[in-house]
Amino acid sequence: MRVSGINKSFPGVKALDNIDFAVRKGTVHALCGENGAGKSTLMKIINGLYKPDSGQIFIDEKPVEIKNPIQAQSYGIAMIAQELNYVPEMSIEENLFLGRLPVNKLGKIDWKKVRKETVKFLEQEKLPYDPEQKLKTLTVSDIQMLEIIKAISNNADIVIMDEPTSAITNREVEVLFEKIAELKSRGVSIIYISHKMEEVFRIADDITVLRDGTVVETHPASDIDLDTVIALMVGRKMENVYPKEEVPVGDPILEIKDLESRGVFKDINFYAKKGEIVGFAGLMGAGRTETMRAIFGLDPYDGGEIKVHGKPVHIKKVRDSINNKVVMLSEDRRRYGIVPIRSVMENASISSLDKFIYGGRSHPREEKKLVGEYFDKMNVKTPSLETAIQALSGGNQQKVLLAKWMLRDPDVLILDEPTRGIDVGAKFEIYRLMTELVKEGKTVIMVSSELPELIGMCDRIYVMNKGMITGCLNRDEFSQETIMRFATGTEKAEV
Amino acid sequence: MSKGKFKNSKFVEKYSIFIVLLAMFILCAVMNENFLSVNNLTNVARQLSVGTIIAYGEMLLVIAGLIDLSVGSVLALSGVLSIACYQSTGSLVLALVLAVVIGVLCNLVNAVLVTHFDVPAFIATLAMQTMARGAALLYTKGQNLLQLKDFTIFGQGSVGPIPMPIIFMVVITIITWYIMNHTRYGRSLYAIGGNEGAAIASGINVKKNKYITYIINGVFAGIAGVLFMSRVNAGLPNGAVGYEMEGLTATIVGGTSFSGGVGTTMGTLAGAFIIGFLNNIMNLTGVDSYVQQIVKGAIIAFAVVLDIRSKNKKTRKVILVADDTKKEEAK
Amino acid sequence: MKKKVISVLLCAAMVATMAIGCSKSDSGSSDDKKDSGDKKDSYKVAYIARAQSDSFAAWLANELKAEFENYDDMTLEVFDGEANDEKENTMIENAISSGFDGIIIQANNGEAQLPYIQQVVDAGIPCITTNPRVECEGTGSIDADPYEQAKVNCDLAIDQIPENAKVVVLLGPAGNFHSTERRNAWEKEFFEKRPDVEILAEDIANWNKDEAMALMEDWVQAYGDIDAVVSMNDNMAAGAIEVVKDNDKFKDMLAYGVDGTAEACLLIKEGKMTSTGLQSAIDLAKMNAEAIHSVLTGEKKITDINDNVPAPLITSDNVDEYIQMYKDNGQIKE
Repeated sequence: MRVSGINKSFPGVKALDNIDFAVRKGTVHALCGENGAGKSTLMKIINGLYKPDSGQIFIDEKPVEIKNPIQAQSYGIAMIAQELNYVPEMSIEENLFLGRLPVNKLGKIDWKKVRKETVKFLEQEKLPYDPEQKLKTLTVSDIQMLEIIKAISNNADIVIMDEPTSAITNREVEVLFEKIAELKSRGVSIIYISHKMEEVFRIADDITVLRDGTVVETHPASDIDLDTVIALMVGRKMENVYPKEEVPVGDPILEIKDLESRGVFKDINFYAKKGEIVGFAGLMGAGRTETMRAIFGLDPYDGGEIKVHGKPVHIKKVRDSINNKVVMLSEDRRRYGIVPIRSVMENASISSLDKFIYGGRSHPREEKKLVGEYFDKMNVKTPSLETAIQALSGGNQQKVLLAKWMLRDPDVLILDEPTRGIDVGAKFEIYRLMTELVKEGKTVIMVSSELPELIGMCDRIYVMNKGMITGCLNRDEFSQETIMRFATGTEKAEV
Repeated sequence: MSKGKFKNSKFVEKYSIFIVLLAMFILCAVMNENFLSVNNLTNVARQLSVGTIIAYGEMLLVIAGLIDLSVGSVLALSGVLSIACYQSTGSLVLALVLAVVIGVLCNLVNAVLVTHFDVPAFIATLAMQTMARGAALLYTKGQNLLQLKDFTIFGQGSVGPIPMPIIFMVVITIITWYIMNHTRYGRSLYAIGGNEGAAIASGINVKKNKYITYIINGVFAGIAGVLFMSRVNAGLPNGAVGYEMEGLTATIVGGTSFSGGVGTTMGTLAGAFIIGFLNNIMNLTGVDSYVQQIVKGAIIAFAVVLDIRSKNKKTRKVILVADDTKKEEAK
Repeated sequence: MKKKVISVLLCAAMVATMAIGCSKSDSGSSDDKKDSGDKKDSYKVAYIARAQSDSFAAWLANELKAEFENYDDMTLEVFDGEANDEKENTMIENAISSGFDGIIIQANNGEAQLPYIQQVVDAGIPCITTNPRVECEGTGSIDADPYEQAKVNCDLAIDQIPENAKVVVLLGPAGNFHSTERRNAWEKEFFEKRPDVEILAEDIANWNKDEAMALMEDWVQAYGDIDAVVSMNDNMAAGAIEVVKDNDKFKDMLAYGVDGTAEACLLIKEGKMTSTGLQSAIDLAKMNAEAIHSVLTGEKKITDINDNVPAPLITSDNVDEYIQMYKDNGQIKE
């Protein structure tokens, strides 16, 4: 498949500018670029959701016109969207055949055929589910696998995958990659979109970098390295992906002793010193987020002690934690971070209303000034302070939320998956901010599932497994292999 | 895209409801010569006072992602008991205080059900609707209370040329506006309705704020009860049926989002007046009452569609502008 | 606190009624087997009210309860149809199966209740329909005639209302039997005979005082002069009067209602209202009790019961006696 000279404009902005792009049969072609670079627009044109202003799509060198996704399917194009399209209350079989249920001559649905094919697929993919099970009872990663099955079951020649690994565990990523290899061997072409550069370099045969609606360069993956791709994406050379700086370390600020929440985590002992970046590694469900939520007062804990600045504190609710200058940025930005419809300014000042509303009235000018200052410091890009936060990119939303906590001048910042779902440029800025913070004498605790960033940014890393801390590594001991051994429970150290 | 044009349309979006109100005002004035008379406008304001006060309570609740379906019944109960209190004590102040206390008590029950037992606000307040109405009928044995004497001062009296209900409405408008713009509670409310999880994770005491919201709603319901009964010069235990819908309609027409997190005091006031003008002009021009119902429904749907459309446009435009700035910076 | 006490009481009341209802149904069925048609010491009568929240229906229920106190050999139980056909029909079915000796039904909607009233007849239980009458073979009926109630006003108005007068008309809920009948009377007995009279505006105020007030306020603005208010009930007439009561311009405005409520009597006494046709719950209750008693004791056949309560006209001339009536039952305080 090949596209040539694709142009697409939206009112006020040129989304795609003369795009040429080709996928070779039986290869994986990775598409890289920051958010807003035009990847999704291009994919939507190929999938028939948007109509290009000009340009041509060729399949097997034959010019085709794709008007809608159903037509795209008939040309053998299948797309697995980043936001999964499924109906939680429907069964597996209904979801698999959603919108294309087979019918007999009278228009009656042929449920027998549906069942037979579903069972066949489930067996083929070794998924231990009942076809009648509702989708809401499945894990996100299994749903993702089903989506992939659904795409392949259409006998697609070209499969578009948009951030397929954003919600699945490492083990499942391996399963997905096996699947991709199998598809390749069957001659299927895959267009792979991901922010995770390690993945891209593992599986891609070709890499195309998009920036601001134009193709910057296309290379075979073997001819190009990670730093070059990132530099192409952001349009400037980045000296170092992880801007780690040595900072003098002071006294312990946060100390946790024997913290326990029955059935969730136990025997949690750790400390974080002034000027340190402390990492928390582990597999999904290891209890890292739960531990941090308890420390922050979002969930109750049953036993143990939390000390801030050496003094024991009792955290019953979030306010207690904030008053002790311990704050947390949640992993789930949509649920526990942003208030989507409210302005960026309100989102930033919501935890510091006492600073702007006092003496019986509000002081919007002071609010604007202070929030504006922090936005400048955090390099938040927003059209205005009144813009609804949902209109911003993920990276900018994250920076607004960081600014929210910076307004409280915290001593300890717990960042849970701070770079999830944001583009490379914004990631770099978050790293840079973390460095700034510890230089100012604050303490950062970073929970992350991406080992490279933990290794790149942290001074020490605690590893958790099944609700317990299984290891603590100093910077000179960091390696992905060691961390994984602790994380999977094959090795356990006294902490 | 020209900056000027963008600013213009932003102005239109932000004030769309007031533009509708103004257009309606002008249209009414052209349609009937009596409309603009001071007497008539005073009438409209007086007719609206009870509904508007209720609408403010509903607005606070809807912004916080809650609702009150019991307000009509609670209004009747507090109004009836207030009259009984006045008739037995002769004290207007005591009567007003009792109405407020009854309103608050009913809403405390609402708040307990909603925050502590996680009963959906819709169901909890529906239950209260039946209970409060039952209590009002039980107390009065279903009969209207008569001979209110000086109790009518709240609804029929006036200070100088300004009728009392309008004074109540203006004062409560100012209080509501103040709460929404100059208190931490008001600001927190938007976050609670916009995303409760985020509000909790930001250190907001969501439960406490929900309690406060129902209590304020109760105070307003109590006052509205006194005004209502006093205006009609009777204690009607089966009065104000369905008033919650009037309040909700004004709120929603005024731009409050049913999904929570959005709404303004002035918008609600405008919403109330749009409906008030509509009723008034149709009565002035003698529109058939069945036709009135159709027109009213259509206008409500139209106002909400207009509002939703302008809001959708807002988020979309902003995204593109964000891309623009990004591009400019890249260059 | 008071609120809580009330809610607790309400709950208790609910539980109690349910318990009573259950035990009733048990004893009722055994009663059926023992004596069919024989004379008994005590007769159980069910009254199924249209709605306890409607002030007239509530008044009628209260009066019926009071009236039955005067009989040693009859007891009354009141059920609330909640202004809902579905509920009312269920109440009728329950009353049949609970073994009542007689059933008085105040229909919410005659057509909707008809098949259930037929069931009562089929079950051999004496049945009286009241306020409104439902035409059904084998039942008796006691009613107030809505046409008559309005007509007595028309007869007065035909001479009172000045030539070329401008009037406004207030109606009850759309499709309501009483509202429609009363409006018919005004049409036939007044408007057809007085073509000079102009109807400025006519609108539905749903029997409600507050809705009538809002309408009247707007009409005063739109039309300036209004010579008379023709209302299908007293509540709405009172609402219209409330608007103009302190306005000298409307000092001579005439106002007609129906029902003869306490409020209307007070307004007539004050000279604000002209007249109303009484629909007396007291009379209705008295006649219903007498009728069912005579049937149960075998004095009369159920099909012979077919009566209307009188619809006396209340004006300033005779209002005092009705005010006394309301003082006696506590609705008007001294």
